[in-house]
Amino acid sequence: EAVDPNEKLAKVPSHARVIICGGGITGASVAYHLGLQGWGAETLLIEQDGVGGELPWSACGLAGRFEPSYTELKLAEYSIDLIKQLTDRGLPTGWKQVGSLNLARNFDRMTSFHRMKSLAVAWGMNCEILTPEQCQQHCSLLSLDGIEGGLWIPEDGVCDPHLVCHSFIEEARRLGVRIVEHCAVKKIHSEHGKVARVETTSGDISCEYFVNCTGFWAREVGTLSKPVVKVPLKAVEHHYLHTKPIEQLDPNTPFVRDFDGRIFFRECEGHILAGGYEREAKMVYEDGVIPLSQKARQYPPDWDHFHELLDALLHRVPSFRDAYLDRLTNSLQVFSPDCKWILGEAPEIQNYYVAAGNKTMGVSASGGIGRVLTDLITKGSTYIDLHILDISRFLGLHNNRKFLRDRCKEAPGKHFEINYPFDEFQTGRNLRMSPIYPQLKEAGAVFGQSMGYERPNYFDTNDKQDEFGLPRFRISQTRTFGKPPWFDHVATEYRACRERIGIADYSSFTKYDFWSKGNEVVDLLQYLCSNDVDVAVGSIIHTGMQNPNGGYENDCSLARLSERHYMMIAPTIQQTRSMSWIRKHMPEHLRAKVNVADVTSMYTAICILGPYSRILLSELTDTDLTAKSFPFFTYKELDVGLADGIRVLNITHTGELGYVLYIPNEYALHVYSRLHQAGQKYQIQHAGYYATRALRIEKFYAFWGQDLDTFTTPLECGRSWRVKFNKPIDFIGRSALLKQREEGVKRMYVQLLLNDHDHEVDMWCWGGEPIYRDGVYVGMTTTTGYGYTFEKQVCLGFVRNIDEQGQELAVSNEYVLSGHYEVEVAGVRFEAKVNLHSPNLPTKFPDREREAYHATRDKPDQADLLSFSSNLTVTRQ
Amino acid sequence: RLLPQLPQLSPYDVNITLKENEFVYNFPVEGIIRSYETNQLGSNSPCEDSRTEASLLHRNGFICGIFDGHAGAACGQVVSKRLLRYISAATLPRQVLREQMKQDCTSQSFLKCHNDKVDFVSEIRPLYEQSFQRYIKRLSGEPSRDVTSELEQAFLQLDNDLSEEALGSNDARTMGVALSGAVACLVHLEGLQLHVASTGDCGAVLGVLDPETNQWHPKKLNIEHNVENMTEVSRILGEHPHEERETVIRNGRLLSQLAPLRAFGDFRYKWPLKTLHQKVVPMFGEQVLPPNYYTPPYLTARPDVQQHELCSNDKFLVIASDGLWDFLTPSEVVSLVGEHINSKKILEPMRLPPGDVKLQQISEQLAERKAGLTRKPIDQNAATHLIRHALGATDYGIEHSKISYYLSLPQDVVRLYRDDITITVIFFNSEHIARLKGESLPTPSPPATTTQAPAA
Repeated sequence: EAVDPNEKLAKVPSHARVIICGGGITGASVAYHLGLQGWGAETLLIEQDGVGGELPWSACGLAGRFEPSYTELKLAEYSIDLIKQLTDRGLPTGWKQVGSLNLARNFDRMTSFHRMKSLAVAWGMNCEILTPEQCQQHCSLLSLDGIEGGLWIPEDGVCDPHLVCHSFIEEARRLGVRIVEHCAVKKIHSEHGKVARVETTSGDISCEYFVNCTGFWAREVGTLSKPVVKVPLKAVEHHYLHTKPIEQLDPNTPFVRDFDGRIFFRECEGHILAGGYEREAKMVYEDGVIPLSQKARQYPPDWDHFHELLDALLHRVPSFRDAYLDRLTNSLQVFSPDCKWILGEAPEIQNYYVAAGNKTMGVSASGGIGRVLTDLITKGSTYIDLHILDISRFLGLHNNRKFLRDRCKEAPGKHFEINYPFDEFQTGRNLRMSPIYPQLKEAGAVFGQSMGYERPNYFDTNDKQDEFGLPRFRISQTRTFGKPPWFDHVATEYRACRERIGIADYSSFTKYDFWSKGNEVVDLLQYLCSNDVDVAVGSIIHTGMQNPNGGYENDCSLARLSERHYMMIAPTIQQTRSMSWIRKHMPEHLRAKVNVADVTSMYTAICILGPYSRILLSELTDTDLTAKSFPFFTYKELDVGLADGIRVLNITHTGELGYVLYIPNEYALHVYSRLHQAGQKYQIQHAGYYATRALRIEKFYAFWGQDLDTFTTPLECGRSWRVKFNKPIDFIGRSALLKQREEGVKRMYVQLLLNDHDHEVDMWCWGGEPIYRDGVYVGMTTTTGYGYTFEKQVCLGFVRNIDEQGQELAVSNEYVLSGHYEVEVAGVRFEAKVNLHSPNLPTKFPDREREAYHATRDKPDQADLLSFSSNLTVTRQ
Repeated sequence: RLLPQLPQLSPYDVNITLKENEFVYNFPVEGIIRSYETNQLGSNSPCEDSRTEASLLHRNGFICGIFDGHAGAACGQVVSKRLLRYISAATLPRQVLREQMKQDCTSQSFLKCHNDKVDFVSEIRPLYEQSFQRYIKRLSGEPSRDVTSELEQAFLQLDNDLSEEALGSNDARTMGVALSGAVACLVHLEGLQLHVASTGDCGAVLGVLDPETNQWHPKKLNIEHNVENMTEVSRILGEHPHEERETVIRNGRLLSQLAPLRAFGDFRYKWPLKTLHQKVVPMFGEQVLPPNYYTPPYLTARPDVQQHELCSNDKFLVIASDGLWDFLTPSEVVSLVGEHINSKKILEPMRLPPGDVKLQQISEQLAERKAGLTRKPIDQNAATHLIRHALGATDYGIEHSKISYYLSLPQDVVRLYRDDITITVIFFNSEHIARLKGESLPTPSPPATTTQAPAA
């Protein structure tokens, strides 16, 4: 179907170092950037149809930087700069810097604008908060009915995606990239886990790298290899309205977004181009087969579906009522299940890169994506942390067509929704559930979803039954930037964990088993991890897996189950990602000898935490649990209740006394029931994720994906004591870390406690707030929360030291501690007290082990306070 | 009324019953009528209502009728087939009729019936054909009259033929037809001229859309011949001696027996007493004689004929037997069908009016569709929609249990609660009417602008 057999087959070379599949704007940008890196002659771009992407009227052409995360914003910013640069060089792009005007109709939207404005300082973005009248000055067409204010981004603009794509293509050609049209990919072959050869309609091409930029078809192209590369995308209908030319329309009309009306519009060659993101999108191609030709993808417009958006548009700009219709187009768009772009190296096949799911923002995304993919291909790393966009954030379930169908109804609408903290999807739920899920639901759990896993966020015993008296499935909602509705529930859970005993479900955590016949498993882990893994059997170590730059690719706990068997516990979102990291960096000589198995789905993890947890567990097992025989940071396999073979770790990831029990699934309900029953006399209480999170933030524990990312090193986050430079193996990242130790760190992880913040009235910190030191912006918060013991807002974040010339200087403890700090929350600055190490919280239940332990420490050379663990090592020797 | 306890039917069963006799006909060629929708829900077993619709041949016209029988279904069935044939011949220009007669035309030469599934038994068919041939022979010799008179004459002629056929043959079947009765409502449409001829208590109502207010108005196109109609009562009383004042109409019925005051058949109320004694009593016994039967005929088949010239605001015509009118008033019926047109539009994709359209106009059109969406009907068929409302409407919308109740009543009592219901809804093509009248359509007029005419 792809190519007319009568047509003369395009000629392709037999070899190319990089094959880019897809001649849309993303593929064109990748080709251009590869060309810039001098790889032009080794790059081939194939396109099943003609290059140039979408039909001219099926894209809005916004080049804007209003993105929900730093990564996305930076990529968009680069794209815009690139388009400007091309324009300056005289290439056609249609670029017009008209600015973007973002409108708010309610208080929460305004708050999100204020947050954006605060962030703008940190993110280097120019923007301005506007009153309704000022909004009208920027765009006189607007009706101010219901408008509370706006956000003006002067450097945003519009362009013609078609022209930009062609300019990329022309530039790529000039830089030596070969472009072959009417050539469709048939199969992607791999050898030894790496891309080797691509079969096309014009013949076979051997290659080293394959880049899937096929947009709509990315998911289908993913199925053309073995193993299948999972690119979870679903096509939905998406409308653009074009009017006929309107007289006296200002050619410099800004790009206007009325978020709460779910619409946007711009001026485009004398007429108006408008569109929007409806609450519930309409699915197309339910069977997953997407026609190849542009024409066959033209859907008749669904006016009824567009009605809401049309009315919102006419409400916002009354004069458009008299505008004449040119056309309403229904051009399809693909969305990923979390409404974010999909980038990076496929976890299934090495050297297979994906750049897809650019939603409707292809032009804002493509430049940055082209650059980072080129960096990844040519250098192995890039200038920005990409983990939130990384393709390895998905599991197989995300690629299930029925899941996509369910979820992607909701995804486009998220685009224009207020970015509330802890936002949850309503669709695609109840997918992965732990065996004790029904009990948790009955206990009043209100759930959040992570990697498809339903995890109790908090417990609310009110209104927990439906009309038939059955436990109701409830999804947690925050929907405010101030004091959240779940505050009191979390407070009681927090207190239970601190003063009595809490029980929490940790089942979603990533769990791997590593084993080998000989000592290979130790060799592998020593190479991958920065901490020394060759510890006494029964010990647990926290360690990072560093990348060559010293950044965290993974942060995990390793329990040495036996001489040659380790269990790894990592954050939930690491399930796919860390496996691909391990596979990719497995030394060749160990590959056949070490077994790595993802056992996430085999174990249920229940954590009991709090001062009574030891007594409780003692009641249910024969093993002596005193600190002497089962100390902190150790592991034992225990009988619990009538069950056996329970892997018990004496850690809680929150700083409380307690245990995490990894229970083979079939015993989970039994063990849970016993714990819960026996715990009644201690008033055991269910604790959700929000409570354990509050605990760890107060104790200054860093979490991967929230505080730590691929650009953060252990030295920057008070964990240099966990890096064992002296171990006999040259682990990944060692030299970079050594260098950093020499030069000093450029940023440092701190805890900030806000003074004079009234948690009842003031807006809360939700992460991403700028930190000021002596009035100068020095960094951003990562995770934040309310400290129920401190009774203060607690912020974790990174502090830099930038001098007046913009030069980054090393950050020392003295520098950090000598400053006067403020944190800006939605435009209001609060004074803050700074900490460099985990504080000891006042407690009625003092515990020597835990007081001695500081997850985050200010002195790299601080002596290891876990004396018992060295004792163990001694006995072993 | 004390209602018996009944098991409830499932929505599925209710739908099966309600939709059993649904029929829709879309005219393939563009004309004044776009389509008609019809349905029938029996109460009597067998159902005593009949209906027929036909296109007129040799000219551009449509004819349809519904017939509510009583004292058996026979008369209604016979009249429903024969009356249309009589009229199709009578309204044909005499010249054409004569030419056709030369080519040995039959009673079915002048019309094409839609959805016609039954025919007369073979023994009786020649008898009816003879009557028809006599009738057209006579017609061919007479000068043309206006449609109103032709309709009236055809009604009377057919009724007369029924009488003669019964008296002339000793067949129990023709006598059965003559002794049972039927009221009729017949619509004749040729060009823009609409004629409604009605005998008895069926009803015809035109749905008119006021383009200014967008409101639906009913326009009644017949007068019911029953005791509620004072003119009709006066007419009957005037036709009989003063002494009979107390007996002609008693208990709201003619001779205390018959509810409609005009009807086909029912020769027990038409023939002279002598004829009844000679021909009927021997066959059926004394009880066929009505009480106080002194000065026959008491009953006539003469229709009330109303003429109306269609205009583009006339959107549809509903004709229905009294089973429907027992539940719904004409204005309720018109608003139900009117809303149904709007709400049905949501089931089809939106069509933009041709030419330049303003966004505001589109928004308004969409709002209208949306209004329909909230009342998205269960039934596509307007007649079924009306039946469902007749049986199930409450202040809170359609109540399933109420419909279920009406449908599950046992055969021996059901007639006390509901009569046979027959409905035909004819939808006009406003654009075509406007063109014929040389007017430009007021826009935006929702039914006209959003539905597209089938290609001619």
